Formats: sequence, structure tokens, C-alpha cells
Amino acid sequence: MNTYVVETRQLTKRYGEHAAVKNLSLNVERGEVFGFLGHNGAGKTTTIHMLTTLLKPTSGTALVCGKSVTEQSLEARRHIGYVPENVRLYDTMTARANLLFFARLSGVEYPDRRIDETLDFLECRDLAPRLVGSFSKGLRQRIGLAQAILHRPDVLFLDEPTSGLDPMGIKTLRDLIVRLNREFGTTIFMNTHLISEISRTCTSIGVLNQGELVFRDTIEKVTERYGSESSLEELYLSVTPVQAKGAA
Amino acid sequence: MGNAAANAPIRLLVAQSLSTIARERTVALLALLFLVLVVVAAYLGWSATSTVNAIYLRSVDYMTAQGQTIPSNPVLDTSPLALLRNMATYVSLIGALAAIVVGHQLIASDRKAGTMPLLGTRPMRGIDLGTAKALALVIAIAALVAFAAFINTATFLVLPEFRLDGAGWTKLAAFYATSGLYLLVFGFLGMWFGAAAKSETVGLLIPVTVWLTLTFVLPQITSNINPVAALNPVSALADAPASAFFQVTGWALGPFSLAEAYRVISAQLLDFMPPTYVDRAAIPAAASLLIAAAGVGTIATRAVARMDMTKGDYDA
Repeated sequence: MNTYVVETRQLTKRYGEHAAVKNLSLNVERGEVFGFLGHNGAGKTTTIHMLTTLLKPTSGTALVCGKSVTEQSLEARRHIGYVPENVRLYDTMTARANLLFFARLSGVEYPDRRIDETLDFLECRDLAPRLVGSFSKGLRQRIGLAQAILHRPDVLFLDEPTSGLDPMGIKTLRDLIVRLNREFGTTIFMNTHLISEISRTCTSIGVLNQGELVFRDTIEKVTERYGSESSLEELYLSVTPVQAKGAA
Repeated sequence: MGNAAANAPIRLLVAQSLSTIARERTVALLALLFLVLVVVAAYLGWSATSTVNAIYLRSVDYMTAQGQTIPSNPVLDTSPLALLRNMATYVSLIGALAAIVVGHQLIASDRKAGTMPLLGTRPMRGIDLGTAKALALVIAIAALVAFAAFINTATFLVLPEFRLDGAGWTKLAAFYATSGLYLLVFGFLGMWFGAAAKSETVGLLIPVTVWLTLTFVLPQITSNINPVAALNPVSALADAPASAFFQVTGWALGPFSLAEAYRVISAQLLDFMPPTYVDRAAIPAAASLLIAAAGVGTIATRAVARMDMTKGDYDA
């Protein structure tokens, strides 16, 4: 049985002459918390957009839970949960009304019960009757996470999930991601440019530089080989030379 | 069972879209304005008729006292349906604008909310979204037209001197069906550019420009009707000059002059068509409206189905 939840082969996305993602071949196993690291504009979001069926690849293949994101996009979507970088919901509706809409759209059988369970899991049931428009970024992010896991997806794609959050919000969200992975067995595919996030949350790492995968390993092996978080930073800078020069 | 499951996202999206646009203030204001004008049209029709009737009755008293011959009541010489001729103008002006805003907001409300990426990752096809938005528009327009029809039907029922026969009621129903079709053309235009335009302003500006062109520019080219005359339901049907230019433009551009097509059909259905009027368009007015509604509806539905779902909002 294939244990890969995400499989890409030579996945490429071009915008005219510019290749945002080049020949990306990557496997993510079931149950992994995969951190996709790269500087701004490296192609991480484009990759997530292709894997979540929002964007058609120029060439190559991508499978999510064995379903092609282009030929079997509807089937693939049943296995996907997605939290964009800036979670936006219907501001004039309550959190519960938003969640009810997305739960029904995802085909959840008993949506009310599932919403209660999900909000309990995320420890935010008190938010349910409140208008989303009144929420802070952190609360919005939490309801955004709720809408993504209502249908209990096999894989959850998170695009810069802690962007713009305060330290407390970052910690809370990080803990939730880890719990989600442990309690539901959800595979996490997380875009980030924060090394601290990778070292504390992820089980494996991939580094994307100018659209190309330049490094891929488990956090365990990386830590064995390179040691501390600061060494992880050195590793990142060594495999992304353009960024290193730019930063200098 | 299979079909029910397949239609579930469409039903949900229709309900969600309608509930979202119902909360939009611009939509509510324009719809309210349209409905107020419908009431005004009914009142003006009733008031004008009552005044003429009252003058006639007083004249009858006077003429009877003088021993003169009593002429027939001019009110009864006019079709009761012609009472509603102002409706044709209100539909083509404020009704069409309201329809553009409704169509536009059906898409803009999702784009502004930034929920497109969340919708795009649900197990539904792009065409489901397009179909749902088109259905929501049809329902919203039907509700507007149904309310207008209710007001006008009530007007006829409370005016005892005007009795519509079966043919009259049929013509009235056909007038509302035509009005709905005409409004749909503009609603679909709003939807199309709401989906295709990169900025919200452009998405609203293009359909309004098309509306201005259809309402005021094309009638001037095809029938020499100046913009002020185009606001008048009767003078908008004045005969075009018998020159070769208007013969050609009327024939060739007439099918695209939808405001004229709508006025022609309205005049025929509401019995205020000037007897000398000749429609020069290459195809019948009803065919123009049907083709336009079907064509723009198809394009708008496809534009929504093919929207870029990665974007959470309009471009800055």
C-alpha cells in the first residue's frame, strides 16, 4: 500500500518565461508534519496552490492521497484541508454560520455535531455565536483552521500559518497543529519561512529555492547531523545561496 | 439520489449567495428604489386616469344640462394596460442598474470576503459555482419582478373602472416575463464582469457603460432618438427619419439595441404602441432579448466557473 499522501513528479508551474516551480519531485508520507521552507517568492505558495487544486500545473504530475490534482480534482479535494496565509471568511456571518456553510459544502453528514466537536478540539466553542468580522487575526486563524478540518481531511495544507500572529497566538496555533497530527493522524504540509517553526513542529523538512527543491530530509536526521536550531539556520542559508547573498 | 447529491453544492451556494447579497446595502437601496418607482408608476397611472375621469364626469353633467351630445369617456378609449407605460422606463433605467449591481455583488461579495480559495478547495466543480450564481441571480430578479407585478395587479384590482379580461392579464404576465428577461441581461453582465475584472471598480464600470450605450447611444444611431426622448416611454417610439442611414443602422444595429427592443415589446404588450411605428431591426425584438439573455448568461456562467480561485480578493 502506498503510504505517500503527497507525491509530485517533475511538477512545474510557469508564468510566461518565469518558472515559479521547477521540476519538483517530492513525497510526503502519511502522518508526517512536513515543513516547506523557503524565502519569499521561492514558489512555496504556488506549490500549495497546485496541490490544493486551485492552480493547474504547467507540466508534471501531483497526487494527493493517490488522486491526481488535475484529472481527479474533486476526489482529491475530499482529502484536502486548506488554510490560506490570510484566512478570510464571511465577516457578516457568525463563526458557526461560516462553519456550517463550509461543512455542508464539504459534504459533512452531521454538520452541527461536527462543528461542536471541532470547536471543542480547538478550544474555542465560545466563538461560535460571534460575528467573524469582530475577530482578531488569531481568532480568525483558529476558525480558519476549523473550516479546514471539519471534514477530517487526510492532509492539511497550511500556508504561513503563523504569519502576523503575536507570540502567544503562534504558540497556541503550533500546539494545535501538533495535536491535530497526533490525535487525528492528519498529515500536515506547512509552508513557512520561519526556521523556529520547523524545528518545533515538523517531522520532516524540504527547502525550496527559486522554485527548485534543494534539500529534503527528516528533522531527526537533520538534528543528528547539524545539531541545534542555529545550525538548522546555517543549513538553510547554505542551500539557498541567492537568499544568503541577498540577506548579506 | 445521485442527482440530489450532485445538486447539493449548487443549492447551498444559491442560498448562501442570496443571503449574502440581501445584506448588501447598495443592493437593498437600489432594489428599494426600483420598488418605490413601481409604486409611483402605479400611482401616476391611477392619478392621471382618475383626474381625466373626474373631468369627464363633470363635463358630462355640464353638457347634459346644456342639452349637448355626450362624447365617449376618453379613459375607456385607452387600454387599461397603458396605465403602466411608465414601468417600461423604470425597468430600463433603475431596474437595469439594480440588476447590474445584484449580478456584480453576487460575485464581488465572495471576492471581497476573500473566500474564493476556501470555495475552490471544496469538492465541487467550477461550473457548479457558475450555475449557482446564475440561479441566484434569476431568483433575485424574479423576486424583484414578482413584487412589481404584485403592486400592479393590486392597482388593477382596486380600480373598479378598469377590468382586465383574460387577454389583458396574459399580456400583463408577458410584460413581466419580458421585463425579467431584460433585467437578466444586465444582471448577467454585472456577474460576468464581477468575475472577469481584476478590480471591483472596473467590474462595475464596464456593465454600466454597456447599459448607457444600449439605453442612450444605440437608439440615437438606429432611430434618431435623443437621450432625453429615450427617457419617455412614448416619444422613445417615435418613427425614425426615412433616410437610408437609419434604414441601414436600424436593420443592422437594431438587434443589439436592447433598450429599444424592450420598449417595443412593452409598447405592444401594454397597448401604447404608436400606430405608425415600424420596427426595422433584422430580427424580432423578442428574439433579440432572448438571444442576448441566453448569450450573456452563458458567458457569465463560464466566467464564474473559470475564475482564479487562488486569489482571496481583488487586485490592489
